[in-house]
Amino acid sequence: MTEPDEELRALAAAYALDALDGEELRRFEAELARSPELRAEVDGFRAVAAGLGAEAPELAPPPSLKAGLFARLDETPQLPPVDAEPLAEPTAFPASASEPDTAPEPVAAPEPAAPEPDAGPVDELAARRRRRRLVTTLAAAASVAILAIGVAIGIGWSGPNGWGAQRELAALEAAPDAQRQTVEVSGGGEVTVLWSAELGRSAVMANGLPELGSTHDYELWYIDEAGPAPAGLVGANSWRVLEGDFVDGMVVGLTVEPAGGSEQPTTEPIAAVQT
Amino acid sequence: MLGRVSDGEGSSGEPSIDVLFARTAGGDRAAFGELYDRTAPRVFGLVRRILVDAAQAEEVTQDVFLEVWQQAARFDASRGAAVAWLLTIAHRRAVDRVRSAQASAERDLRAGIRELATPAEDVEERVELSVEHERVSAALGELSEAQRTALAMAYYEGKSQSEIADALELPLGTVKTRLRDGMIRLRHLLGVTS
Repeated sequence: MTEPDEELRALAAAYALDALDGEELRRFEAELARSPELRAEVDGFRAVAAGLGAEAPELAPPPSLKAGLFARLDETPQLPPVDAEPLAEPTAFPASASEPDTAPEPVAAPEPAAPEPDAGPVDELAARRRRRRLVTTLAAAASVAILAIGVAIGIGWSGPNGWGAQRELAALEAAPDAQRQTVEVSGGGEVTVLWSAELGRSAVMANGLPELGSTHDYELWYIDEAGPAPAGLVGANSWRVLEGDFVDGMVVGLTVEPAGGSEQPTTEPIAAVQT
Repeated sequence: MLGRVSDGEGSSGEPSIDVLFARTAGGDRAAFGELYDRTAPRVFGLVRRILVDAAQAEEVTQDVFLEVWQQAARFDASRGAAVAWLLTIAHRRAVDRVRSAQASAERDLRAGIRELATPAEDVEERVELSVEHERVSAALGELSEAQRTALAMAYYEGKSQSEIADALELPLGTVKTRLRDGMIRLRHLLGVTS
């Protein structure tokens, strides 16, 4: 394993403080995915940061918080361990090769282990942990949760998430100008929008939205000066690369529509992200 | 060390936080409930400190525990204590909230699209509040004031390096150095080995 770039290594402390942003954050995370040395460095600084966290006075949350939390568990599937990821191969979407000099290394992980069923007994968990140490483990780095979402979805989440779409998603995540934003959805759950003007694509990951049943669907929209254009349906706990071309400055919106979707929104957006 | 000390292991025969995590990973809601009861005040305390606003802090805290529920099988005890992992998630989510609130405040969403992000607070006001209520540990006391300020702005206010540089009207390189040196010093003082 090659030594991480010194300049990037010097950012490990700031990363553990969640104090990186923009291009630096993206470059650091790309390196982090490759470098066990860097991960160890980050882990150490995270322990320090957690010490800072423990300095904050404890504060009991209101009881309603726990009740609300447990009410959401039914709609929140538990993810399998990180070593069951189908996207754990380096992938490069052909379109992203247009800027080979500035393109980042794809997020690489060693050979994926065989997918495993949902979490089992404790000893099995421990065994998995041992195995997982060999693999790119970003679980502790919650800031890359989007990557975890991106790779976990192939396992069992629904949506137009075939291999081609997965490659597009991987290319989006690796795009030099990729940006993302997570917003809460009124009614519950959250959506993350990931976009790259360079690739002209965007993707949406929905997490914990209320199930709509067979009568309605969640529909995505690209909205610009010309108004909203339909960009495809997405499930309550799913993802998709949006239909149509993305242009910087568009708003990505989400509405509830009659099953099958509409040509124009018929309801108020329940989430919107300004790119 | 750090987080482990506060894991509350072994006291009065209660299952350790690690065990509760493992059971949570297996879908055990009772274990998850106990995990919540024992760790929520710590998580909520941190999130509230960063966000100040109680309603936002409650939302983020709930999201943190939902993430724990989702990701419990991915927690790797070999890489740190469970409580430290929790606080890592909590910090990340609180910072994301701070930044998205700021970002949305700077953006003018087009007519017809309802703004759904949580309203941004007055950032300057939050700075003063958190400096006022700052409690620093003995180790923090060993740092230079410049280092301490940079660390506090990063960790407790969720500012990025470049935001700190802007706020303090310092070159970015200076801020980077202060954060890094401060963290290295803390790592040494707290006896963390990586």
